[in-house]
Amino acid sequence: MVKNYDAVVIGAGNGGLVASARLAKEGKKTLLIERHNLPGGFATSFVRGRFEFEASLHELCGIGSITGKSPLLKIFREVGAADKIEWVSLDEAYRLLTLEENEKCDYSMPLGKEAFIAKLEEYDPGSSAVVTRIFELIESIEKTLDFVSNIEDFKPSMIKEIFSEHTEFLKVANYSVDEVLKAFGASQKTRDILNGYWCYLGQPTDELNVIHYFTMLHSYIIDGAVIPKGRSHQISTALLEAFTENGGEAWFNTSVKKINMENGKATGVTLDDGTQINAKAVICNASPYNAYTKLMDEKAVPEKLKKEVNAKTLGAKGFAVFLGLNRSAEELGLNNHTYFIYPTNDNRRCYELSKSIQTNNVQATVCLNKAFDDCSPEGTSILYMTSIFAGDEWSKVPVEDYHKTKLSFAEKMIDNFEKATGVKIKDYIEEIEIATPMTYARYTDAPAGTIYGYEASKEDGIVKRIVFDMIDKGIPGLYFAGGYTTRHMGYSPSYTTGDMAAKAAILAMEKEAK
Amino acid sequence: MGKKKASVNGNFKDIVNTVKFLTERKHFINSAEAVLPICTDDFGVNKVAKSLHPKEQKLVISRIEEHAEIAKSYYFKSETAPLAYFKAGQYLTFRFEIGSAVVTRSYSIASSPASALKGEYQITVKRIADGFVSDYILDNWKVGDEVTAYAPEGNLTYNPLRDAENIVAVAGGSGITPFLSLARAIDQGDENCTLTLLYGCRTSDEILFKSELDGLCEKNEKINVVYVLSHSDEEGYEKGFVGADIIKKYAPEGSYSIFVCGPGGLYKYLESELPKLGKEKKYIRFEVFSSGKKEEEEPRNFSITVINRGKETVINASSNETVLCAFERAGIEVPARCHTGECGFCRSKLADGKVYIPEGEDKRRVADMQFNFIHPCCCYPESDLVIRVN
Repeated sequence: MVKNYDAVVIGAGNGGLVASARLAKEGKKTLLIERHNLPGGFATSFVRGRFEFEASLHELCGIGSITGKSPLLKIFREVGAADKIEWVSLDEAYRLLTLEENEKCDYSMPLGKEAFIAKLEEYDPGSSAVVTRIFELIESIEKTLDFVSNIEDFKPSMIKEIFSEHTEFLKVANYSVDEVLKAFGASQKTRDILNGYWCYLGQPTDELNVIHYFTMLHSYIIDGAVIPKGRSHQISTALLEAFTENGGEAWFNTSVKKINMENGKATGVTLDDGTQINAKAVICNASPYNAYTKLMDEKAVPEKLKKEVNAKTLGAKGFAVFLGLNRSAEELGLNNHTYFIYPTNDNRRCYELSKSIQTNNVQATVCLNKAFDDCSPEGTSILYMTSIFAGDEWSKVPVEDYHKTKLSFAEKMIDNFEKATGVKIKDYIEEIEIATPMTYARYTDAPAGTIYGYEASKEDGIVKRIVFDMIDKGIPGLYFAGGYTTRHMGYSPSYTTGDMAAKAAILAMEKEAK
Repeated sequence: MGKKKASVNGNFKDIVNTVKFLTERKHFINSAEAVLPICTDDFGVNKVAKSLHPKEQKLVISRIEEHAEIAKSYYFKSETAPLAYFKAGQYLTFRFEIGSAVVTRSYSIASSPASALKGEYQITVKRIADGFVSDYILDNWKVGDEVTAYAPEGNLTYNPLRDAENIVAVAGGSGITPFLSLARAIDQGDENCTLTLLYGCRTSDEILFKSELDGLCEKNEKINVVYVLSHSDEEGYEKGFVGADIIKKYAPEGSYSIFVCGPGGLYKYLESELPKLGKEKKYIRFEVFSSGKKEEEEPRNFSITVINRGKETVINASSNETVLCAFERAGIEVPARCHTGECGFCRSKLADGKVYIPEGEDKRRVADMQFNFIHPCCCYPESDLVIRVN
């Protein structure tokens, strides 16, 4: 069987969903193929007993609950998904706790620039002048990025404008977070607190690109964070609904066997049942690992792309414990939405320790009831803990040790949580589910169970990716969306690159038509 | 006050540092090898993921054991791939083509996880009234046949972080199998709980695996077995149904979790019995068997328009059978495992029409309710329907 479309999208992850929704909205006849029975990839939820657990989202930035700056909401509105999602705004950034006896800390930070600076001043008196300057730099970087991303028609005069108006960006663009914060004279304590979010990018701040981290601080702390009431599954399904309402077709439980190429150009895909889908554009939300090794012939993959993927390192592998507790958050003393619990504030050491199952003690934990209490039945609460692993030690766990390794790491996370917060949860676990790197690999085909795409290392920081890595990667008709493209992996970046991929495909189709 | 501009190592050096990334990047990419990256399937994590959750397993029946006249155990091996490992208490879903119907049914694994590593699964099938698929198995499966099963699934498993260390298992009829697996796993040192097995049967003739259970009970102090007969009064057996009194009588000292597996009648009875124990919900866990049928005096007939990969098919349905039953009868294959609304594999979009979902069986996500996605395995048609299955 042969079918013809304007565009075919491989994978209904965040990038694939937005790409599909955008293409359908722009009147392109689009087919979305997903091998799983659900949309969303990582962005999903699951039910155990009387609890519905969020599978991956901690907080979503880019919705701008404080400042109204909301690039994501703009995309969701334009594709027709926005009014299907109910958002809850958060007022708390994070509570940061460390485990090691000689450097115990406990900082609770709010969202909102003024509140954040004021609270930091309380913890680290005298810090506000430095922190204010840091926030000025954060805002100035954001202005540069806004300027660059709003360029539709590039004119040489803009280079002059960049050099005269955006010098701050140009000066710091290739430094790490630590280099810049130290140059600003930020104290150790201020840096510890400001670096709290490091685990969301998985890279120690001595090499994490400052632009990357500061944009993240902007979108969380200045612009505000939200969560969807129906879990991330609500966003995924809303995007899918918007897509089908605009005439898009989505086939689930369906795998792509091959990306078809003709004269170096992508011309469509072949499905598991032999169906041939012809399309002017192929949007790939599968990882390049999958695309190059399983979906394409080796000779169709340009040398440059092989080098690109080999140069990069896989990012953090995920581990999560989902707990349905049979006491309310109040009864248990769960007072925070987001807990960052680290062995130490030295995030380089945390990262090195996270290479081994034995020594990893990093966790980011969310109590969903602190966002909205009716997320679970009265008298109960939901707590989910996520850890990240650098390296690939889980690949060495043999199948016969799998269950006990998983259980003992989950227990360690629960113990660490109790130890750091003093909150007792162990006796109140009514439901528990544990996700390992194998679980992420199972549901999304993520190589080695990574949840962060490529590592945001010094050599592969976000500025370099944005400048050098292309959405179309130089194969006409083939566009990549999602966590392995020009941004880091994550909700906002994946939605954004999905939109970019669709727009690039639409532009190419229009050019072709002319 | 003049605004102090950001500077790390001085303006000039900062710009030079930024310009440096051009050469840094070139070097970074060019020093990598121009070969294909490692295939996703070849990472150790992905290999284990695939071996735990294969898309399907081709199993060959290696031997069949008769249990009196009432049940048979089927032993499977695989000639192509290692058997997927599992947790005691999980089930296998099998796929059948019977006439024009394409059907899936789930059976708890009776063998231990350790035996899967050695290449063997065991399930036990009991003959029941109107057992469409169980009759088919008992009358047709023979040694050497190849059958299709999916990966082990299910949540009736012991988790020391959640459950009490002592498990009181209530088994009805062939609901004994997950607990036989658990008893074997305890005996082999793979599970750390104690097991008090309260096994309800009509008469002593219907007790499955009696000699093995007695043996395990004898040799392992962590395992205790009590037989409870509902339809005969025999010496050495409890008489009646497994309810609050029997549980209280045999439950170990201290905290315990109750695991239940058996037919619908057992649940109905326990629904009124278990509250008498005053236990928190976390200490009670069920595995529900569902027939996919409901009692109705005059079942109404409806049509379902099924949309699958863009193709529409119209099939017949009845108000006393689940939507999934209608699919199966019509030979429409959809992914389905648990048949109880729990696993979510059959999730489909109800594009038009009305369905009835029995109270308490609705285990959908909040957003699925919002957007009218259903689990066909626990929905009954109340009108003509349009359903997008894939």
